[in-house]
Amino acid sequence: MSGQHRLGPLPDDWTLPAVEAVNRAWFTSGAITLQQCAGCGTLQHPPEEICHVCGAMTFSPRAVAPTGIVHSYTVVHHSVHPSLDRAVPYAVVLVALDGAPGLRVVGNLLGVPVDEVAIGLPVVATWEELPPTDGEPLLLPQWQRQDQLPQQT
Amino acid sequence: MHGAAVVVGVGESTYYKRGGAPISEFQLACDAIKNAVADAGLALADVDGLVSYMDRDEPVRLSAALGLGDLQFSAQTFGGGGNGSGAAVTLADAAITAGYAETVVVFRSLAQGQFHRYGRPSVGRRARGAAAYTAPYGMLSPAQITAMQTMRFMHDHGVSEDSLAEVVLTSFAHAQHNPRAIRYGTPLTREQYFASRWIAEPFRLYDCCPENDGAAAIVITTPERARDLAATPVAIVAAAHGLSHRDGVAAFGEENFPTAHYRTVARSLWQRAGVQPADIDVAQFYENFTGPVLMAIAEMGFCEPGELNAFVAGGALRAPHGRLPINTSGGNLGEAYIHGMGNVVEAVRQVRGDSTCQVPDVALSLSVSGPGFAPGSAVLFGPA
Ligand SMILES: [Zn+2]
Repeated sequence: MSGQHRLGPLPDDWTLPAVEAVNRAWFTSGAITLQQCAGCGTLQHPPEEICHVCGAMTFSPRAVAPTGIVHSYTVVHHSVHPSLDRAVPYAVVLVALDGAPGLRVVGNLLGVPVDEVAIGLPVVATWEELPPTDGEPLLLPQWQRQDQLPQQT
Repeated sequence: MHGAAVVVGVGESTYYKRGGAPISEFQLACDAIKNAVADAGLALADVDGLVSYMDRDEPVRLSAALGLGDLQFSAQTFGGGGNGSGAAVTLADAAITAGYAETVVVFRSLAQGQFHRYGRPSVGRRARGAAAYTAPYGMLSPAQITAMQTMRFMHDHGVSEDSLAEVVLTSFAHAQHNPRAIRYGTPLTREQYFASRWIAEPFRLYDCCPENDGAAAIVITTPERARDLAATPVAIVAAAHGLSHRDGVAAFGEENFPTAHYRTVARSLWQRAGVQPADIDVAQFYENFTGPVLMAIAEMGFCEPGELNAFVAGGALRAPHGRLPINTSGGNLGEAYIHGMGNVVEAVRQVRGDSTCQVPDVALSLSVSGPGFAPGSAVLFGPA
């Protein structure tokens, strides 16, 4: 997959998440897979090593609906790293998940001109297949408008 | 409650644009500490404690280089970036009140021209921890993080771009009276503000603090020691530091997003001081970016978020006669960005009566450290 080009606004050589035990499901499952506490059932994101409600340290993966609403966003115009000089302007969105009230996920909004990004847009997840960073292929969650087809990037 | 310690000296190095300092960050720290100790009428050998936040200048090295007294106490606060300034004052107050040290210098030295730039985060090929959920999407600088908070805050409460502008124009206007300020002699018009380029929406260039080289310090001691000194002592009326337990969840996971992380600090500070926001005569609100300043004004209880546009309009933030004059030295935007330590120095000056934008008859002078990042901290000064 080394020839893969990123779907989003960021360059192929941009930073990727390190896959660790705590986030393996999130970054490799190809679903909106949240941490569900084995003790009390609480869903939490970002994943942590301990449940913030009951203190249990074991979790099971729980996939929720891959849809949400743009809760906030910014359009980045000023490049803060030489690798991003040609990526700007790009939008970063904070998506409130339909399937987990109160939980939010950061991503890029693909295929939408930056001046059309708005709070309240309904979005649906898609996944960027990226080369393995720590042994497994990475499936990085990203977002598209619900009224756009996945291919329209 | 709070300690009994008093502030007896303030000082700073010359402030420079990023990369402009002809001396090292360590030398800047030494300059600020020497100036603050001299302002107090003390000798360097009288200093037996050092407190800072996120600083590279180790007390061991400073002690040896400056000829301080036997070191009895040294500490730094965890996390929060510029939010450490009020917390550092709290630590010094606690140490002195408990008797672990008699005379403590709280300082911060920052030369972004000599080390990494906060606005140019260093990123590796692999983002770990909290950054794993943001950096891969190009969300990594403080401006971008607080832009995400501010965008939702403005949406929820109808906060206008004019209100962001008013924070900037206030700092620049005050800086015109302060010869120490980097923007002294460089006023900014509303038109220049709105014509400036986008950094990360809703922030334009002038919504963002500059990167500077400099250092600032204050000297804190016991009321007994202060009696022997010529300097006018300034009381630490109250200080507060902290967060509610889900306030700092990574990647905007806070249950009360968007927050400047000041609700806990506000509750503690007003309770400890026994005063209300309306009693405050002058305030320094750390301007990393304008949005967090407005969020902090509301979270500290000066007005409801939906009242911000009216609260800041019509010169209400301007010295000397506005309802709540803020950032009277020019603040981070106009004077210099020394990670908020300059705001603490200015809050003390307002009580002493030697600000370059002096508010008359100051009884309560507030410094709010660094909204946008947790934990928050704030300190309230008054006449001793
Ligand atoms: Zn649990």
